Amino acid sequence: MSRRAKIEKHEIRWRGVAVSEGVAAGRVLRIHTGGRGNIYRATLDPDDLKREVRRFQAAVRLSRRQLLAIKRRAEVALGAEHAYIFDAQLLMLEDRKLLDEVEDYIRQECANAEWAVKVASDKLLAVYAEIKDDYLRERSSDIEDVTRRLLVALSGEAQSRRLTEDAIVVAEELLPSSAAELDFSHVRAIASDAGGWTSHTAIIARGLGIPAIVGLRDLYRHARTGDEIVIDAGRGEVVLHPTGATVEHFTEARKLVHAGAGVATDGGGVPLLTTDGVEIILRANVELPPEYEGVRRYGARGIGLFRSEFLFTQRGGAPTEDEQCAAYTEIAALAGADGAKVRLFDLGGDKQHNTGEFETAERNPALGLRAIRYSFQHEDMLRTQVRALMRAAATGRLDVVLPMISDVSEVRRARRIIEEERARLGAEGHATGELKIGAMIEVPAAVMVADQLAREVDFFSLGTNDLVQYLLAVDRSNDEVAGWFRTLHPAVLQSIKRTIEAAGGAGIPAIVCGEMAATPAYALVLVGLGARVLSMAAAAMPRVRRTLARVDAASAREVANLCLDSATADDAEETVRAELGGRWPHLFSPENLPAAKSGE
Amino acid sequence: MLEKQVVIVNRLGLHARAAAKLVRTAGVYRSSVRLERADGGAVADAKSILSVLLLAAARGTELSLTVEGEDEGEAMGAVCALIENGFGEEQEA
Repeated sequence: MSRRAKIEKHEIRWRGVAVSEGVAAGRVLRIHTGGRGNIYRATLDPDDLKREVRRFQAAVRLSRRQLLAIKRRAEVALGAEHAYIFDAQLLMLEDRKLLDEVEDYIRQECANAEWAVKVASDKLLAVYAEIKDDYLRERSSDIEDVTRRLLVALSGEAQSRRLTEDAIVVAEELLPSSAAELDFSHVRAIASDAGGWTSHTAIIARGLGIPAIVGLRDLYRHARTGDEIVIDAGRGEVVLHPTGATVEHFTEARKLVHAGAGVATDGGGVPLLTTDGVEIILRANVELPPEYEGVRRYGARGIGLFRSEFLFTQRGGAPTEDEQCAAYTEIAALAGADGAKVRLFDLGGDKQHNTGEFETAERNPALGLRAIRYSFQHEDMLRTQVRALMRAAATGRLDVVLPMISDVSEVRRARRIIEEERARLGAEGHATGELKIGAMIEVPAAVMVADQLAREVDFFSLGTNDLVQYLLAVDRSNDEVAGWFRTLHPAVLQSIKRTIEAAGGAGIPAIVCGEMAATPAYALVLVGLGARVLSMAAAAMPRVRRTLARVDAASAREVANLCLDSATADDAEETVRAELGGRWPHLFSPENLPAAKSGE
Repeated sequence: MLEKQVVIVNRLGLHARAAAKLVRTAGVYRSSVRLERADGGAVADAKSILSVLLLAAARGTELSLTVEGEDEGEAMGAVCALIENGFGEEQEA
């Protein structure tokens, strides 16, 4: 990985964490996330000021072209109604008030364009912060978006967003907002410097069924848009500037992977039964529109988790009641008779969304104002969302999931708000549908009081990603502690079992919808712990279905019990490796099982 | 110079979408178009979205509209019609 090697375009290899499956070869598409943190101030020679102003004007034109293209795409994908938000941003780029301010600053202060944009934008944001009207104050998110876009345009990386057919996205970290902008039908794979198994990059990639590797540390710095690159998610390996022999080697590997996937796509529409006749229901986790297609294609029994906060990033701010109602109606239609479970906005915390709020960094965002807490704090937003949900529920089956519940008081408070809005909708002459209310079990406290919670909700949704994070006190996006993020930790398994039993005792369903369910070996353990409904990225369903149809639930219970008795995560993983590899060697080859912990 | 008092009637007030329509409409004419809150709170150039948004004009806000220039009659007519029709917003519940 020496600098010399890069200049001579020798093959360079990286190893990272593979977060989905598959092999891909293509060309690098570098995505710059446009952070504002490292804007520098330069003092220019007075002779260069004219050129600097022209550079700024060129960036404005480029940003305008991009926004027009995004707007056109949004009009096609979402209807003209939704594309309006980009109109406001386009007008900002035409606004003499903003443009003159930047240009005057460049001329008067001999400043570089980046700095002038930052100063002008900070000034505007400060003025907007003073507005008393919540809705209008939120327009600051449009100013932030426009600023970010101008800064990216000034950095000269903007053209990189034009996607070629074989684009492999390389980013420091893929944020939901950049994800919303990409046309993922052209993306073959994703590689990012930061992120772990449950990062946003990972979830998006698994949802789309494309290979992704994260935790590559400094790939972004070395890769240039257009460079040849190969990604093998099976081995967690990335090769930049691959030689002909390497490409050939990977192409062979890809053929093997594709041959496997061909077998996997059948089986949808038929009930999934274990060999001893226990029915397992597989549902789909959905966030991005490109994932919608997979729900039907892979035979999902409805949508087990719709992460609604995407509506925020897509729009660049709070979606209106009508916009949300249209989105939920579409989700309900997509899910069909089995219905869709819509999780309320999970905003705040590590989810960086344009909520229109100024980023006041919390010391412990994962433990801070997020999810249901954030919604209670922004009650108008919560009321708008539940109104939209009840209106959409008149057209199809929808349930609501309350995220980050820690005891029944939050359930009662949310239920009261829902009932108030239902009455109001009725009085206004709107049709509403039944809305079952479920609690997301992801805070350890909720596991401890699961019996009490089960009496007050209609179902449980077990969010294993956050449950592991909170139970083991491991920041899931921090690479440094990734080694402590252990899905098979006995405490995690005990919590899952306890939650499922509490649901069973109260006669309500429990649906496991974390990423854990997408791995066949873990899905088997979940069935052994009593799970009967699993929700996962649609693309993962074929392999999970193929595995569960060939095992018996009684043996799965034996394996799960052995894991529950383990003292450590290492022991539990070893048990899974030994038991699964021993009982079903035809299903679990060593590479399909959690890797043995290396000595380091 | 023409001057007229108008009231914001649509539910969401001069929010982003309505403001965008106002700026697009005002931008068609050569005349200058100014909006001032009747309470003296703020003045805006109707051709600048950033300035219009800063009016923070919610439903019920009274504004005085001033138009000056060669096509002031047409401009006044178009802007008034837009505001009085609630920016063509379908009346949400």
